[in-house]
Amino acid sequence: MKIDASKPLEYSTEENSNKIFGFWVFLGAEIALFATLFTVYFVMVDRFASGPSGPDLFEIGPVMIETLLLLTSSFTIGLAVHAMRHGYQKAMMVFFGLTLLMGLGFLGIEIMEFVTYVHEGATLQTSGFLSSLFVLLGTHGAHVSFGFLWGAAILIQLKRQGITPATANKSFIFSLYWHFLDVVWIFIFSFVYLKGLM
Amino acid sequence: MMKQLFPIRHVMGFLASLVLSVAALAVIYLDLSNSANMAILLITALIQASLQLFLFMHIGESADTKKELYLNIAYALFVGLVTIFGTLFIFVWGWYA
Repeated sequence: MKIDASKPLEYSTEENSNKIFGFWVFLGAEIALFATLFTVYFVMVDRFASGPSGPDLFEIGPVMIETLLLLTSSFTIGLAVHAMRHGYQKAMMVFFGLTLLMGLGFLGIEIMEFVTYVHEGATLQTSGFLSSLFVLLGTHGAHVSFGFLWGAAILIQLKRQGITPATANKSFIFSLYWHFLDVVWIFIFSFVYLKGLM
Repeated sequence: MMKQLFPIRHVMGFLASLVLSVAALAVIYLDLSNSANMAILLITALIQASLQLFLFMHIGESADTKKELYLNIAYALFVGLVTIFGTLFIFVWGWYA
């Protein structure tokens, strides 16, 4: 394994650089995935049949808290990568842990939102609007859930092995994933919730 | 150390994204026209997405792969936008009718 000391640790071997490049390619595919889910939602948004419509269902309060949690967690994972590049393992792990906790908080609120929707008679089967809404939000939420487990596994490795080319690479790739989920949420926030409420 | 832990660019980027999220709330609290609302949503969302991409994800930081990464994301966005607007064109904006 040839280590190039002129680059940050996470890029330092050829394998590391390739993994980062490969992950960007994967994120390109994720853009296409979410684009199709948004497409279905935009087509279905007015087909609420006899069920509730967007304005009936959406409440801005919990959505703002979700947005705040995800934005802040995206900020802290950025700080974690920054601390990593300065070799501050402890600060990095604190920022990383905060990121995961905020991800968990986001999931908690999203699940409560889903439970509320179902209690108001809005289920996956109620209408085309709700099917597409739940699939779009659910796919994003599933990504956050997977991210939480993945991030937790990386955090354990950081604790055990410290900041090495391998753990730095994993942490950096995780940060890309997490920022990407924030980008998707910004579009959900704007074009599902705010557009539905305006 | 605090300066190294909280780089000013990231802090400003974070504050900017909070301000943009709040600014986007104008579409539900101010009584603007439909097209003004859509313009606000598009602009705030695009700036926020760019903040993430350029500032937090450092898309341009590695000189070896910079061009390929931009091409990859541009192509993905092209595919995504054609999917979204092509479908809207057919099913929502009335071409099919």
